[in-house]
Amino acid sequence: MYFDMHVHSAFSGGESTLKELATRAKMLGYYGICFSEYFESKSQIRELQEEIREVENEVKIKIFLGFEAKSASELRKLVRLRREYDVLLVRGHDLRLNRLAVQTPEVDILTHPELNRKDSGINHVLAREAAKNNVAIEINFRNILINFKTTRASIIKNMMKNVTLCKKYKAPIIICSGAISHWQLRDPKVLISMGTLLGLELKEAKQSLSEVPKKIIYQATERKSPKWIIPGVKEL
Amino acid sequence: MKLKVLPSSLREKKRYILFKVISESPIEYSDLESAIWNTLLDFLGEYGTSKISAWLLKDRWENATQTCIIRCNHLFVPTIIATLGLIERLGDTRVCIKILKVSGTIKGCKKIQQTFKNSK
Repeated sequence: MYFDMHVHSAFSGGESTLKELATRAKMLGYYGICFSEYFESKSQIRELQEEIREVENEVKIKIFLGFEAKSASELRKLVRLRREYDVLLVRGHDLRLNRLAVQTPEVDILTHPELNRKDSGINHVLAREAAKNNVAIEINFRNILINFKTTRASIIKNMMKNVTLCKKYKAPIIICSGAISHWQLRDPKVLISMGTLLGLELKEAKQSLSEVPKKIIYQATERKSPKWIIPGVKEL
Repeated sequence: MKLKVLPSSLREKKRYILFKVISESPIEYSDLESAIWNTLLDFLGEYGTSKISAWLLKDRWENATQTCIIRCNHLFVPTIIATLGLIERLGDTRVCIKILKVSGTIKGCKKIQQTFKNSK
């Protein structure tokens, strides 16, 4: 049971519609995908959820709604609305934002912390915080796919560094396609294989596509239940 | 004079990977072959490519189903699968590769390829 938790649709600068992405994901063997959109307004959430339900019924695949925060102010806004959607992602690149993301328990995934950086964007302190707050560090396949030669080599080097740190401090790792078009979605076996090349054991690589997303989804369902109060506290 | 065949214990252990090319428009075998070799050499380099001992089986290319079998060393299956995933375009056609089966024998892959062909 594999999940791709970071896919952009036409709503957030992507090239493909929700239906195209969902159909391709189903064809490739995914059990569920998460559309991570950029936040604009509260009404956008309802609109997206309606569209998602329609596509979900048509394609018969689990679809989740996520929002990717691009700045600290956006992250604060999204944390306030946390119960209205499933997954909260933070677009990593800036060290301060990376740090804020791993220190916020409401955040589920820190996406490509090494984006446009010479370093890996994560150090031992951040990895420890990510493990403490259960924030998954993403390996973004699209970054490897669209870059070539020296850039690709440096991205892979940084990803390997992140994997080593996450393994040492037991921070969750998640492998996502990061696709902005249905042509960039990849077979789960491809993502697992890439994970093993980056230093994960086969079991760990499989978990990063199945167990880690499952945990995130479980938390999202818990959060939406009326008995939920704050992280770690709920009515019995 | 032909070389004597190595005893089985000394032979290289192989794996066969059956994959399907999903593309905007049907593709030709020659395009696929050159794309695979170029991606392998780009991603792994000449030394890396030599280690995985990859070989695309031309006679196992099914034009109707757009499926093919690639052979590699048994230790480098993840490497070759990850490399296949890095193929994004064949000329102007956008492609995506789906792995259907990894088998120790060509027969195992053939069976799946046949059922795939029949179901089409």
